[in-house]
Amino acid sequence: MRLSGWIFIILSWGAIIIMTVFCFIKVFSKKELK
Amino acid sequence: MAVAGSAIGLGNFLRFPAKAASNGGGAFMIPYFVSLLLLGIPLMWIEWTLGRYGGGFEHGTAPGIFHSIWKKNRFIKYFGVIGIFGPLVILIYYTYIEAWTLAYSFFALTGKYAGLSDQASMQSFLRGFQGIEVNRFFNGIGIAYTFFLITFIVNIWVIYYGIKGGIEKLCKIAMPILFIFGIFLVIRIMALGTPDPAKPSWNILNGFGFLWNADFSALLSAKVWLEAAGQIFFTLSVGIGVILTYASYLSKGDDVVLSGLTASGTNELAEVILGGSIIIPAAFVFFGPENMQSIAKSGVFNLGFVTMPLVLNKLPLATLFGFMWFFLLFLAGITSSVSLAQPAVAFLEDEFDISRKRAVGILALAVFILCQPAIFFLKNGVVDELDFWGGTFFLVLFATIETILFAWVFGMEKAWDEIHKGADMRVPRIYKFIIKYITPLFLFFILGMWFCQEWLPIIFMKNVSSADKGFVLATRIGLIIIFAILAILVKIAWRKKKIQQENIR
Repeated sequence: MRLSGWIFIILSWGAIIIMTVFCFIKVFSKKELK
Repeated sequence: MAVAGSAIGLGNFLRFPAKAASNGGGAFMIPYFVSLLLLGIPLMWIEWTLGRYGGGFEHGTAPGIFHSIWKKNRFIKYFGVIGIFGPLVILIYYTYIEAWTLAYSFFALTGKYAGLSDQASMQSFLRGFQGIEVNRFFNGIGIAYTFFLITFIVNIWVIYYGIKGGIEKLCKIAMPILFIFGIFLVIRIMALGTPDPAKPSWNILNGFGFLWNADFSALLSAKVWLEAAGQIFFTLSVGIGVILTYASYLSKGDDVVLSGLTASGTNELAEVILGGSIIIPAAFVFFGPENMQSIAKSGVFNLGFVTMPLVLNKLPLATLFGFMWFFLLFLAGITSSVSLAQPAVAFLEDEFDISRKRAVGILALAVFILCQPAIFFLKNGVVDELDFWGGTFFLVLFATIETILFAWVFGMEKAWDEIHKGADMRVPRIYKFIIKYITPLFLFFILGMWFCQEWLPIIFMKNVSSADKGFVLATRIGLIIIFAILAILVKIAWRKKKIQQENIR
């Protein structure tokens, strides 16, 4: 795998994980409030 | 629960790897992510908002929702027909692919493919199962058809009784297990190294490199852009009409911004991180890049059924893990097919005031009849043809119509307020510009490029063998007839309502 591949995989996986974790934190904090 | 079930399905683990492999791996991923950011996520918000808005007018499907947005245009409801037609066409072949996952879970338990260790024998096994050839594994399509009947009955039972109750409880356990099992498989595949020392370049790092080494050469190919956008739509269930129906049951205070983003994130986690790290790297190290692409091109769902048994056979407790993998996929498939059936059932219930029992009965009869060509003429390209039109082209077309309606007919200011009703978080302001200008232009651009580059070869079946041309043509005529019947039903429903309103006056 080339360097560009490593950069692509880290950026995309990182963005997806951050987005999903952020959403679930929001969902669970909303449920707790309710 | 329903939307998470709809989002995680066969698209993540079987369709995505095959589409990525047949469109060049790294060449596919750039259009894929651009489509996610500029089409997938905005369309999630558009569909959730349109669905909730339409639900306020007691419409749960696209014809009614489109009509409630643009009342003055008497033709707009016919464009909404695509929102029932698309999921119905996908449901036809999706049911059959689900049956394969159930059959393979049974084969894993009974050890039917346990002794197979190479690509040729695994492909032969699949071809025998599909009824394409008679061989030492299968002497006809009988077993595949038996599993189709079981799957069909289970699907109709779940559609009729709904996902609540036992199935929901089962999926609440099964989906996290599928997720954890996926992580386990990714770790196992990363440890495969170089299985064949005679072919050192067929190693796991190059397998990941096939998907992740950015390749800009295909950026001018309309087909790759259309396939990437189609995969985003298929996997997020946008551009299909399914989310419109689910969202129509929401109340004004429900948060569609967070719901849409959570569904997108969960789905991408399953698809890109798990789906992209299982079948493609494994197929690469076992078969090499050329063979992998040729299997992917031989049928949109074939790659997973050739690769995974070989990978699973190399695990300890192969019988148990083989059964688990395919059975969990089967459960994921059921939750998705239930959602694919919803628009047609909701259309019959809402617009014709018929009971759910009758609506499911009509749908079951129609789907059963329509599944037969997909089963018996699979080898002639019927499933791939249905997948192209129902699972790719019409999704992009429907998304274009929805975006125009939302941003330009409904009006962006009103739409922006509607999105944020009940929302805790604000959509980044840049998306106001993206939804109004970039998303529709991008969709027009993909469709325009496709018309310029691919229209003539596809219409005249240039890449179809002369033996299969009749079957492909018959499939297209069948699709036109289904569309026409749905359009007539919409006309009848509206006429009926008009008469009822006049009688009330």
